Amino acid sequence: MKADVPLLLRALRAPQQLASLPPAGWDLLLRQAANANLSATLHDWLAQHGVLAQALPQAREQLSWAAVMARRHRQATYWEIRLIGKALAGLGLPLLLLKGGAYAAAGLPPAAGRLFSDIDILVPEDSLPQVEAALMRHGWVGTHHDHYDQRYYREWMHELPPMMHVLRQTAIDVHHTILPRTAAQRPDAQLLRAAARPVAGDGAPPGTAVLAPLDMVLHSATHLFADGEFDKGLRDLWDLHCLLTHFGARETGFWEALPARARQHQLQRFMFYGLRYSAMLLGTEVPPATMAAMAPDGPAPALLAVMDALFMRALLPHHPSCRGAGAALADFLLYVRGNWLRMPPLRLARHLFHKAFLTPKNSQRAAA
Amino acid sequence: MLTVASLAPGALQARLAGDGLRLRTGRFSVRLQAAIPSVAAGIGQLYGDYPLLQDSDFADFHLQLVRPRSPRRWLRPQVRLHCDGYEMFQPMPLQHAFPMFEWGLNWCVSSRAHRYLIVHAAVLERRGRAVILPAPPGSGKSTLTAALSGKGGWRLLSDELTLLELDTGLLVPNPRPISLKNASIDIIRAYVPDAVLSTPVQDTTKGTVAHMRAPGDAVRRAADCAAPAWIVFPHYSAGAATTLEPLARAATFMELAGNSFNYSVLGAAGFHALGRLIEQAAGFRFRYSALDEALDTFARLDES
Amino acid sequence: MPVQWQVVPGQSLLHRSWDGQVVLYNEVSGATHLLDAATLDLLHALRDGELAPEDWADPELQLTLADLRKLYLVEPC
Repeated sequence: MKADVPLLLRALRAPQQLASLPPAGWDLLLRQAANANLSATLHDWLAQHGVLAQALPQAREQLSWAAVMARRHRQATYWEIRLIGKALAGLGLPLLLLKGGAYAAAGLPPAAGRLFSDIDILVPEDSLPQVEAALMRHGWVGTHHDHYDQRYYREWMHELPPMMHVLRQTAIDVHHTILPRTAAQRPDAQLLRAAARPVAGDGAPPGTAVLAPLDMVLHSATHLFADGEFDKGLRDLWDLHCLLTHFGARETGFWEALPARARQHQLQRFMFYGLRYSAMLLGTEVPPATMAAMAPDGPAPALLAVMDALFMRALLPHHPSCRGAGAALADFLLYVRGNWLRMPPLRLARHLFHKAFLTPKNSQRAAA
Repeated sequence: MLTVASLAPGALQARLAGDGLRLRTGRFSVRLQAAIPSVAAGIGQLYGDYPLLQDSDFADFHLQLVRPRSPRRWLRPQVRLHCDGYEMFQPMPLQHAFPMFEWGLNWCVSSRAHRYLIVHAAVLERRGRAVILPAPPGSGKSTLTAALSGKGGWRLLSDELTLLELDTGLLVPNPRPISLKNASIDIIRAYVPDAVLSTPVQDTTKGTVAHMRAPGDAVRRAADCAAPAWIVFPHYSAGAATTLEPLARAATFMELAGNSFNYSVLGAAGFHALGRLIEQAAGFRFRYSALDEALDTFARLDES
Repeated sequence: MPVQWQVVPGQSLLHRSWDGQVVLYNEVSGATHLLDAATLDLLHALRDGELAPEDWADPELQLTLADLRKLYLVEPC
């Protein structure tokens, strides 16, 4: 592997090479991992590959601290899912979990070493009022009370404004589709819900479901590549890599069916990027036939060269040691692109203005 | 083993201003970067006995104190603290830089070191048995800690962060400067005449703050763990008679849990560690006003 | 028909007792509770299936169980 590949990427791609890492190397690796939110994941990854026992003792010690935190997060996530299930029990809807909640409930590889934040669920659009009401009856309250923000979420985005539980201070995001209404691509939410699979087990109350493997992978790629902020980009790419590797090995016909499913949901461009950068940065073993089938879904060569330059910088760990020339510019361009994808140009200008000047300062952010 | 004192002041300042000074405090290694004279002075005065580490060594925590290029940087100079790249606190006036380092390092340890149940308490040891002093701010815990370690013959393990190792149930030393506030600064100056105190810093959120150097013996014996024997909740009250009342164990458990930084993160392991501590160490509520009487009570704890 | 209750699945009732008081670790919610010895006895009886029809009919018991439900220690069967 090239010498200038960041240490964290080398650790994820070839953990056995870490046996010869000097103390200063472990120090840097751990700081890159912490910056990328991958500390506990690294702990589990190294343990899985039999490298943890040979690691520098102080490094192993720190990674074990992160693992304790991740365990607590998992317990809290199972608990939160259970309570959400209770709140929505009377509505006759499956509890369709997305992202981190789904990985935890279904015991999928991205759940390992994860620090969870909000729970995301997917419900039919016409059930939003009942879902919101049921959550409020059980102690969740709305946030973002600014009239503009309310409109932003309800009219233009794909979700209710995030709700927070008054006692537990935990957040839930209720989505009705996986991309904003204002985006050009229109994935079929009804198809997503119809293909969802039930989940059983410790982490899942009755009626819990997750997206079908193809859809889960598409959502992961869309969530990452339709967004504008990549400070947790490597974490999200790692999730995608884990899902692709896991389902690729276990679901018959997964790779063959992926291109068609991507196009069916109009998400082929995001999936193209997902496969491309997961393979380039993390070494995901995508069958050549699938890469070839997705090739027409990429941008024109000139634009692809630009996107490579942007994403290959933005998806690296954001730790200062990995940020070379052009990183800040890449961040900025991708931020604008992210908003562009979500909103048409005229609304974008108004939105950025409003965000910058009119929305009251979030008091938590001010203290940071 | 080289210590921080082996560096001449110029060399110390150069390291702090450059790639950083690396030192060990108990089980943790710290890298500090701070091109700020008051910080160099504080380190030189209070951290001389601490082992010096090499640039190539692993550091658990990376702290940086920087002077931001804020608009009023000459009229209202500020300092910002970065812990492992994150800014956890609001900027502070430049003269608070050294206390900010102390608080920042406490933050780093208490928010991450989940091998230990970390109680917001002082902990000291004598003749192989340790006393834990949990206390909210204003209870006189630090004054008592300074007196017990400076004059009472107790070895300081820590004045703020009690580290109870989950696996072993032992108390792990983390000796650092003792932070004194307001009136207790003068009280300790008088009570422990040979104590080394930093220049008091005024107008912090906790009032006037000074730090007392940890006894050299405490720093040298940082690897000697101790078995817990007593948990004493101190309450300073002017003019109060000295009283030591036993506390019910369940109540002691709940109060300690409430005084711990990471009890809620540790889950069942924290529950078991705290349960075992309560089996081994009796709990007391302690009221006092006179330091001599307080030290006497502690000296006779074995007899309780 | 009085409600019947069970200990919430996943609770092994990890606890310590001293002098009639109990601290209990709630494995499901991650919380720690301070209870009295009688309440712990009730939880054990519930877990071990020792409650009889006359117990279920006791309104005070039902109230106590309703309180314990708020702590996610017990739930209706």
